[in-house]
Amino acid sequence: MAGWRGSRGGGDGTPSDDRIASSQTVRLGKVQPQAPGHRTVFCNDREANSLAKYKIMGVVNLFMGKRKIRYIHSEVNHIESQMIAWVHDIEVVASWSGDSLQWLLLWIVGLKGALRYHLLGFLLWLRTSEGNSVSTTKYDVFTFLPKGLFEQFRRVANLYFLMISILSCTPVSPVSPITNVLPLSLVLLVSLVKEAWEDWKRFQNDMSINNSNVEVLQDWNWVPTPWKKLQVGDIIRVNQDGFFPADLMFLASTNPDGVCYVETANLDGETNLKIRKAPERTWDFVSPDKVSEFKGEVQCEQPNNSLYTFTGNLIIDKQILPLSPNQLLLRGCSLRNTEYIVGAVIFTGHETKVMMNSMKIPSKRSTLEKKLDKLILALFTVLFCMCLLGSIGSGVFINSKYHYLRFDTSEAQFDPDHRFVVAILTFFTLITLYSPIIPISLYVSVEMIKFIQSTQFINNDLRMYHAESNTPALARTSNLNEELGQVEYIFSDKTGTLTRNLMEFFKCSIGGEVYGTGVSETEIGAAQRTGVKVDAQKRSSAASERGFNFDDARLMRGAWRNEPNPDCCKEFFRCLAICHTVLPEGDESPERIRYQAASPDEAALVVAAKNFGFFFYRRTPTMIYVRESHVDKMGKVQDVPYEILNVLEFNSTRKRQSVVCRYPDGRLVLYCKGADTVIYERLVDGNPDLKRMSREHLEQFGASGLRTLCLAYKNLKPDVYESWNEKYIHAKSALRDREKKLDEVSGHQYSQPNIKKFQVAEQIEKDLILIGCTAIEDKLQEGVPACIETLSRAGIKIWVLTGDKMETAINIAYGSEVACKLINNGMKQFVISSETEAIREVEDKACHTSRRCFSHLGDQIELARYMKELVKNELKSCHEEAQKFLHMDSAPKLALIIDGKCLMYALDPSLRGMLLNFSLNCTAVVCCRVSPLQKAQVTSLVKKGANKITLSIGDGANDVSMIQAAHVGVGISGQEGMQAVMASDFAIAQFRFLTDLLLVHGRWSYHRICKVVTYFFYKNLTFTLTQFWFTFETGFSGQRLYDDWFQSLYNVIFTALPVIIIGLFDKDVSANLSKKYPELYKEGIRNAFFKWRVVATWAFFAIYQSLVLYYFVVASSKRAINSSGKLFGLWDVSTMAFTCVIVTVNLRLLMMCNTLTRWHHISVGGSILFWFIFVFIYSGVALPNKEQENIYFVIYVLMSTIYFYLTLILVPVAALFCDFLYMGVQRWFFPYDYQIVQEIHRHEADTSRIGLLEVGQSQLTPDEVRSYAIMQLPGEKSRHTGFAFDSPGYESFFASQAGVFVPQKAWDVARRASMRSKPKTPRTPRTPRTPQRN
Amino acid sequence: MNSGTPSSSAAGAGSADSIAPRRNSKRPKYSRFTQQELPACKPILTPKWVIGTFLLVSVIFIPIGVVSLFASRDVVEIVDRYETECIPETLRNDKVGFIQSDRSKTCQRTLRVPKNMKQPIYVYYQLDNFYQNHRRYVKSRSDQQLRNNGSLQDTGPCKPEDNTAGGPIVPCGLIAWSLFNDTYGFTRNNQQLDVNKKGISWKSDREHKFGKNVFPRNFQSGTLKGGATLNPNVSLSEQEDLIVWMRTAALPTFRKLYGKIEVDLQRDDLINVTLENNYNTYSFSGKKKLVLSTTSWLGGKNDFVGIAYLTVGGLCFFLALVFLLIYLIKPRQLGDPSYLSWNRNPSGH
Repeated sequence: MAGWRGSRGGGDGTPSDDRIASSQTVRLGKVQPQAPGHRTVFCNDREANSLAKYKIMGVVNLFMGKRKIRYIHSEVNHIESQMIAWVHDIEVVASWSGDSLQWLLLWIVGLKGALRYHLLGFLLWLRTSEGNSVSTTKYDVFTFLPKGLFEQFRRVANLYFLMISILSCTPVSPVSPITNVLPLSLVLLVSLVKEAWEDWKRFQNDMSINNSNVEVLQDWNWVPTPWKKLQVGDIIRVNQDGFFPADLMFLASTNPDGVCYVETANLDGETNLKIRKAPERTWDFVSPDKVSEFKGEVQCEQPNNSLYTFTGNLIIDKQILPLSPNQLLLRGCSLRNTEYIVGAVIFTGHETKVMMNSMKIPSKRSTLEKKLDKLILALFTVLFCMCLLGSIGSGVFINSKYHYLRFDTSEAQFDPDHRFVVAILTFFTLITLYSPIIPISLYVSVEMIKFIQSTQFINNDLRMYHAESNTPALARTSNLNEELGQVEYIFSDKTGTLTRNLMEFFKCSIGGEVYGTGVSETEIGAAQRTGVKVDAQKRSSAASERGFNFDDARLMRGAWRNEPNPDCCKEFFRCLAICHTVLPEGDESPERIRYQAASPDEAALVVAAKNFGFFFYRRTPTMIYVRESHVDKMGKVQDVPYEILNVLEFNSTRKRQSVVCRYPDGRLVLYCKGADTVIYERLVDGNPDLKRMSREHLEQFGASGLRTLCLAYKNLKPDVYESWNEKYIHAKSALRDREKKLDEVSGHQYSQPNIKKFQVAEQIEKDLILIGCTAIEDKLQEGVPACIETLSRAGIKIWVLTGDKMETAINIAYGSEVACKLINNGMKQFVISSETEAIREVEDKACHTSRRCFSHLGDQIELARYMKELVKNELKSCHEEAQKFLHMDSAPKLALIIDGKCLMYALDPSLRGMLLNFSLNCTAVVCCRVSPLQKAQVTSLVKKGANKITLSIGDGANDVSMIQAAHVGVGISGQEGMQAVMASDFAIAQFRFLTDLLLVHGRWSYHRICKVVTYFFYKNLTFTLTQFWFTFETGFSGQRLYDDWFQSLYNVIFTALPVIIIGLFDKDVSANLSKKYPELYKEGIRNAFFKWRVVATWAFFAIYQSLVLYYFVVASSKRAINSSGKLFGLWDVSTMAFTCVIVTVNLRLLMMCNTLTRWHHISVGGSILFWFIFVFIYSGVALPNKEQENIYFVIYVLMSTIYFYLTLILVPVAALFCDFLYMGVQRWFFPYDYQIVQEIHRHEADTSRIGLLEVGQSQLTPDEVRSYAIMQLPGEKSRHTGFAFDSPGYESFFASQAGVFVPQKAWDVARRASMRSKPKTPRTPRTPRTPQRN
Repeated sequence: MNSGTPSSSAAGAGSADSIAPRRNSKRPKYSRFTQQELPACKPILTPKWVIGTFLLVSVIFIPIGVVSLFASRDVVEIVDRYETECIPETLRNDKVGFIQSDRSKTCQRTLRVPKNMKQPIYVYYQLDNFYQNHRRYVKSRSDQQLRNNGSLQDTGPCKPEDNTAGGPIVPCGLIAWSLFNDTYGFTRNNQQLDVNKKGISWKSDREHKFGKNVFPRNFQSGTLKGGATLNPNVSLSEQEDLIVWMRTAALPTFRKLYGKIEVDLQRDDLINVTLENNYNTYSFSGKKKLVLSTTSWLGGKNDFVGIAYLTVGGLCFFLALVFLLIYLIKPRQLGDPSYLSWNRNPSGH
């Protein structure tokens, strides 16, 4: 007992619900608290592991719903213990594969005696085949139906129809159950088939992953074994380019020094290689003989989802070796540049970090859909009113004077003595009768349309395909297509989004001297702005290499030795060459080497060092080799190895990176590079001139739109270093519990070991000596200015939220040729900055009291109060001024520039409203120096405060919160990491593709969905109202006008397809014109096509049409309808009316089309034709055992009369007459903008294709060229791919195995990480380090 | 396992990059469908189209309207409302009592023929305020039973007229039970005018819905009599009054075909109708009318279709003229950019 209690460690204070949380799916970016307790894994010993699990997991907490069952087993037999261990495992699995397993398990463990023993034994046997297998399916065979149905009935519309269906089984119902059951089951069927298909694909994908082979150590041999058979503690071998099947502890590799290189692209999208290093003790476990002797015990944390943390100990022969993330090879990563590695399985299957990390895609609903809910609600109200009216009528009507109706007490609904009961029952009758007013197939149709729109149109758009990075656009959700057509505010990140994130070393300042002759793009822009002509030729053409765009004769080719401060230069270059985490790849020659860097800035700096003659060419875990052009004499080269003692890594809070290295001569130096603010804080006192000069240079660089870094170094005394290092290692290797004790910082987002580490790091990164600073140019992305201009013409306001300095941000935003055209000189700019004299003063005051700014609490509070007051006043004055401008006629446009610190105060609840009011009046807003959280705050300020539709676009992890906060999140793919993409709703490769995404796809989707929704509304209203008018003439009895089958098939067959066609194909203006007239987009922002006014118009015409449809048909069939004097009965009239409804409604659809493809004709014609075919068969065949054959022969009777044809012409024409008149008048006198554009270009052929041909010609495959040629043939109609769902949800896995690319679907991103993607066998191994060659 | 020498691997790495995109290209495949470039015509509702369409509709509709109106006007119709007149004046205070009593309900009516009527002249009865389309009424029948001799017991929906002590009722249900039972006899100049009651029902009903070997059983044998009785020896398929009655009407005011007079009637002929006023419409104050009508090629007298056609056609013509006038006086230039909203008020929306 005591044992397990101890092993739970500090978990006692943790609420037990943590256990639930840890098994739930969690969004990336939020790291869940670690599960309490440790886990012990015995390497290479399966038996021991199964036993060990029991020892550790003495307590199994099983949660079923809110019920918690605790099993405490102190002494049980072996098999029982295995079961208990397994119960825990199944719990993890069950949380993935659905509830059924849990229930099964609950049932089994609740049993007593032999049965329980056998069942558990059987399941245990089943488990032997489970191990490392993963299941990402939503359902299994048993849960599919109940769970799938449950999911479906969570939609209100479906639930409503379920209730109506139940109601229609009661005698109250005027219609047979089929009327409501059939459409409901069809809709459910379609949805369920879609679910099943998707799940089946997932299952297949899982299977292929589970069955792929890996080599496992068995009896001194490597035996290929399927992944799923892997178990914790197994020793496996992974070959080059292979994927790790589970989370492995790294034991040994073929590389010397026990390192290996891994690519984590599947995890976080970063393509640079990362080094992993095995514990030294196990380096030689490469051969089977050797490794077979290995018996070790790993004590590590419980499985969790934090990708970048891991703490544990490896115990070999009672020796404890600390384990860190450096020794962990995560499932989903692949091995590179290493022949093979040997590892021990630590976490399997769903316990692997990547699986724990897979997230549910946050479901966003579009604004239009929310409005649709309101419309449905309105329809419910209408339905209620209609039913109420009818039921009152029936209560009044019921009277025993109608003797032929035999109203008596036998049936409650026709009991004239209880009118109130009659009314209530009739109410239900009428609800079932009028139920089609709620369009049941609306949701499923809209879903289908959006699905095809996103998978077929957005994902496949060649205009949004970026050839350089080979990235097509990706719609990760199909919910938000039409939202794209209504975006009013765009929040954009700067770096990597507006700019290329393609960093080039551009300028530097060494020892107070500026080097670099280039003129940055933004400078050119700035110059043009002020009217100075800049010779573009002046731009350095010496950009010899990617990442290096620097030219200054004073530094290049060793000339730096003649500069006034050569030593400083030397340190500068060494710092560049040593202080980084870059990996070299390829040949060790300056021309052929390639650098793998976590960020492009780093790579640019290393490249710069190379060009200055400090060529970093090899890295081992402990050494960095630099080939230095000889320091004393020109032309000589010397290879200098530097021993890297510590790397204090970079992150966004530290904003700096340090390396402690030992020169060959034993000198200990700490090199540090980082943001100016953090470096300046840590500089040694003295040398104020250099500091001032450098600061000036920094500001100058910043003003040119360059990214700056400060470099500094510090010589270390060995004894100081040693004592520090001890502390540092201590902090690093400490296990969790101890850190918790040590840790004083709380509420921090980093896991505790890191905080501890940072605290220790802090102790040595001080008293630095400034060397200089670097300036890196981040080029604007292609087409950004044009795109921004187009978007702003479209009425979209773009806010730039960046972490950059204010000067950089303003320069990037400035409206010139090269920079983004966000701000221009004509604008009235409001700058709210914390970098003002007044604030500096207060800051300085605060600085006086303590050595470091802001560290003293009292001053900080005072400063905050002061700042808040300041910001408030500033905002107020800006606001007042803005108000003044607003009332002027020719008011200049306004722009607001605010920095993060001020924003923090401006976002305070008391000032928020003013900020919002003011900023909404601005055409451009730039927020600089903002944190990720502030980005999200600003986004939700506009989203919630102003109720505008927002879009966030970004590329990095710091944009994730903003992307999730906005209505639509767009990630830039194919660049830095994948985190932004993983959190986004749409992923595009370039900022400029936003024009296509918004102006083309978004606008079309909006138009289409609006049309679909309003049409659905109209057609169901029309249909139901004809019933309603009939009710008045049936004594409010609720007699149905239409046959059951007519009514049930109306929505799902007779009017289903055309509306889908319009949802897919309708195009008001072509893609090119959409971009040529971006102003058209404003119609979407104003929501011009789904306003209540639009809905009311449709409702009006629906009422008019239903009146015409009903009364015209009835009136024309009152008298004898043929020369033999015969008359129509009820069903003749109803069939005639229904025919008219079908024809009218389908023709109305044709009237609202902007384009008519033959699919329109086919679907509309087909729908009408299908109705006739249906009714011919239905009324032609006498069904046996059918009690009432009302429709028998009716259509033939109808068609034998001339009246039928006369009515069929008259009624639709009369019904659509008003619509046509309205359309004509509207277009003539109050045309929409798109209609004018249509007219302007009415004679032009659709030129978009030709444009595309020009763009895409070079990239066309011969097949495609041929198919173009065929298409261009005169008179030849194009081959159509059809709109069969060609492989929706088909996982990219299989397709990529076959070498075919399939765009990712939203649902497979979660599994993407665990997938083995395409085998890269054809690719020859990339070996950067080739020890064989020298 | 290790493939290739270092040098070749380096070279391979270089070339793989240039070749790889071609093979592993994620470039979407071109198709007109995915690029949304399906060939399409783009109809624009220009003023010409509006005017043209209105004109076209009027050109088609007005003649149709004229023709059908003429056809309707050709029809001669005599309508005689008799439900009040056929009750002796003294008893008109208690019409229901009269109709439920055992008195003789024979009644004489005289009709004057306003125009020449060509045979066949159709005799209809028209009921008013009679809800044949009431839910309770419509469903109260069993088509199975009407068609098959073997389905006598199929009286499921027929309640309350489904069974008697003597077994199931054929035909069951309220519809059959309330069969209309007024009868008309016609004489002209004391000369009997035969009423042909054959062929007054739809052929499909006669042949398919009402069985040849199904005979009425237990019909109207209950205590409450709803209407006419049926001859139990005549099969249902020959009981055309029943067949006509059971094709329930759509509206509470409806006509049913009673028979045909296959003699021409001359203008100003006086027709004597001997009328058995048996059917009780008095309790719900329903009207009863006797209608004699000829038909045209189109059918009975129904001005509605013609008027509707003429109205729609005339409206269209009128609108075509109005639009034409506007078009001539103040034409709207197609595709005039000044109509664009951002050109109308450049400061924004």
